Amino acid sequence: MSTNKPLPTPTEISAPYWNGLKAGRLTIPQCKSCGHWVFFPRRHCDKCWSQDLAWKEVKGTGTLYTYTLTRVPTLPDFADEMPQKMAVVELDEGVRINTTLIGVDESEIKVDMRVKPVFDTVSADGTTLLRFTAAGKDMAERIDSTPAALAAAAEAAASAAEVADRRQVRFDDEAAMKSLVSEAYSAWSNQIVVDQALIDEFAKLSGDDYWIHTDPERARKQSPFGGTIAHGALVQVLQSRLRIPLDYEVVGFNNMVNYGSDRLRFPAPVPAGSRIHARTRVKAVEKLPKGMQLTMEIVTHVVGSERPSVINDLVILYM
Amino acid sequence: MGLKGNAAIVGAAQYRPEKYATAPRMFHLEQVADLAGRALADAGLKAADIDGLVIHGPQFHEAQVFVPAMAAEYLGLSLNFAEVVDLGGCSSVAAVWRAAMAVEMGLCQAVLCVIPARMAPFGPDEDPSWMARAMRFGGHSTAFGAPEAEFDLPYGHMGQNTGYAMIAQRYAAKYGYDPVAMAKIAVDQRTNALANPDASFFGKPLSIEDVLASKMVAEPLRVLEIVMPVAGGAAVIVASKEVAARARNRGACITGFGEHLYFKSPTYANEMTDTPIGPAAERAFAMAGIKRSDIQAAQLYDCYTITVLLTLEDAGFAPKGEGMRWVREHDLTYKGNFPMNTHGGQLSFGQSGTAGGMSQVIEAFHQISGRAGERQLKRCDTVFVSGTGGVMSEQGALILQGA
Repeated sequence: MSTNKPLPTPTEISAPYWNGLKAGRLTIPQCKSCGHWVFFPRRHCDKCWSQDLAWKEVKGTGTLYTYTLTRVPTLPDFADEMPQKMAVVELDEGVRINTTLIGVDESEIKVDMRVKPVFDTVSADGTTLLRFTAAGKDMAERIDSTPAALAAAAEAAASAAEVADRRQVRFDDEAAMKSLVSEAYSAWSNQIVVDQALIDEFAKLSGDDYWIHTDPERARKQSPFGGTIAHGALVQVLQSRLRIPLDYEVVGFNNMVNYGSDRLRFPAPVPAGSRIHARTRVKAVEKLPKGMQLTMEIVTHVVGSERPSVINDLVILYM
Repeated sequence: MGLKGNAAIVGAAQYRPEKYATAPRMFHLEQVADLAGRALADAGLKAADIDGLVIHGPQFHEAQVFVPAMAAEYLGLSLNFAEVVDLGGCSSVAAVWRAAMAVEMGLCQAVLCVIPARMAPFGPDEDPSWMARAMRFGGHSTAFGAPEAEFDLPYGHMGQNTGYAMIAQRYAAKYGYDPVAMAKIAVDQRTNALANPDASFFGKPLSIEDVLASKMVAEPLRVLEIVMPVAGGAAVIVASKEVAARARNRGACITGFGEHLYFKSPTYANEMTDTPIGPAAERAFAMAGIKRSDIQAAQLYDCYTITVLLTLEDAGFAPKGEGMRWVREHDLTYKGNFPMNTHGGQLSFGQSGTAGGMSQVIEAFHQISGRAGERQLKRCDTVFVSGTGGVMSEQGALILQGA
C-alpha cells in the first residue's frame, strides 16, 4: 500500500525512537551526565554536549504548547485531514514535539490543555506516528490509519447511509423525473484506495504506461506531485465501484442505455495511495421521442479535497 | 565593540515587484550585473570602485558552489572580500552589516550586496516543473537525516504559514489577541503603499473589514496578513567615508547591527513568543549608542502581521504583551506618529523571495537620502531596519543614520 504523504526515514540515530512507536512505546534519549531530555534524537546532549545518552521510555503525557487549525492544506495530500490540527506538545519531561491532534473537536482545543499520546499506524509496513489527544478522552492508545483501514471504516458509514425504502419514480412520469433535478449533491459513496497495484493493472490493460503513473521512483524525483498519480480514465471507471447512496430509484423501464458523457473533466490529480469517493446529482431530465433522458453529474474526489478529480456528466436513456 | 559608522549605503536598485509568470526571465548572473550597474549609477560610482561582494548563495541558478568567484568573473571585478549569506529573509540585513564590517576593517572601499530573485530562463533539458517540486515542501529540507524531514513533514508541518500561525496562537493564549489590531498593521502599510507607485498593491486601498473578511489560511492568520510572493531582485552599495564623499546621495551610515539565531523550528525555541530580534536589536541600539525614541522610522520585516507585532515588542518599541494595544494607539503610516514600513512593507510591496528584505533596507536609505517621493518623511536621519528568516528563526537588526 503506498501513500503519497511524506513518511519518516529512520536513521541509525533515530531508529530506536521509530521502533518504539511501532511497538506502542514512546522512548526518547536522556543525557546521563546532566539529566537533560533530548528531542529530536541526537548523538549528543544539546545542553551539555555529553555523548553519554540513554534511551528511556516515557509516558507521553504533556501539555499543548500551541496549535493551529489549517483551512488550506499544507500539502494537497493532507486534504483528508482537514482541518489539520497542527500542534506542538510539550512532554512532562520538558521536550517539545511537532505533531497533530486527533479525536478532539475544534472547540475543545486550548493552549495548555493536558494531552496523552496516540500511536497511529499510517502505512502497511507498520510506520507509526505519534499523535496526541485530550487527556480525558476515551480513545484507543493505538489506532490504524492505513488507507485500507480508513476505507474499510468509510465502507461501514456508507452502508449505514443507504436508504432502505427508496422513493420509486416511474421513468415515463416526466414531472416526477424532472423533480429529481437538483443543485444539491447526494451523500458520499463508500471509499476505495487507488493504490499503485491498481494503477499498474490499469496501465497494463490500457497500454498507458507513462512514467508519471507507473514509475514511483522517477515520479518522486521529477513529478510536480511528488509521486505517481492515477490515470484520469482509471478514476473515471472506478465510479462503478463506488456505491452512491440515493434516496430514489427509477423504475418501470424496459431498457436503460448509457449514452456516454456530455462532459468529462479531470480537474485534480489522484496521487497513488489516495482514497477516493463520489457523489452525484441529477443535472437535467429531457423527454425524447425514444424515452426519458437523464443527465447525471458524478463527481469523484480525493477524500477531503474540495476540488473534484473527475467530473462526469453521464447521459442515460430510459426506454 | 562593533561598527563606528564609517560605512554607508550610498546606492541602491531593485526591480519592481512582478508576478513570476510575467516577469522577465534572466540568468542570475545577468541580474547580478544589471542590478549592480543600476545601484552604481544610483550612487554615481563606477565599477572599478567595487572591491567587495556579499551575495545570497542558496538557489543561485547557475551554480550551487563557488558562487562569488563565478559572479566576480562575470562582473569583471577584482575582490578583496567575498561572502555568501544564507539567512533567508534576514539575508539583506545580514549582507549590509557584513559589508560594513569589511569596509571598517579596511578590507574594502565599496561592497556590492546583491540578491537576484527573478526566475532564470529554462534550458533545453530543464524541466519546468522543478519549481513546483522545490516548493512542494515549502523550503523544508527533505534530505535524509534532516530533522525536519523526519519529524515535521510526516505530520504536515511544513512551509511557513502554520509555524507563524502557531506562534500567533500561543501569543493569543499568553497575552490575548485582537484581530482588528493585526488587520490595522496591514491596512496602515497599505496606506503607505498607496503613496508608492512601485508597490504591488499601489492604487488598491484596503480596509480592516477587507482583511477580516479574507480567507482564513491557518488560524488565526488570514490571507491578507500573509505576503504575496513576487519576482524581483535588489542590490545596495556599501562604501567607505572616502568613497561616500564622492557619491551622489546622502549616505545611510550603518551605526549599529545585531544578529541572533539558535533554532530552525520555533518549536525548539526557549519561548516561542520571545523572538531572536530581542537580543539582535539590543546589540544594535547599544552599538549605535541611541535610544528607541531616537528612531524616526522603522522598516520591519513583515512576512506576516504577527512578525511585525512581535518585532515591535521584542525590539523594544512596544511593551511586551501590549503590542496590539500599542498598534491601535499609533498611526503607522508615513503621516503618523510611528512611521513604519513606509514603502508599504512586503505585505503591500510584494515579497521578492530572499530579496524581499532588501526592500526594507532600500526604503530606509531612500528616506534618509530624501528620495521617498510622496511618502517622504519631513525629518529622517535615524532608521531601524529588521530582517527575519525562516519562522522567526534567524533575525537581524540595523541602525542606519544619515551622514
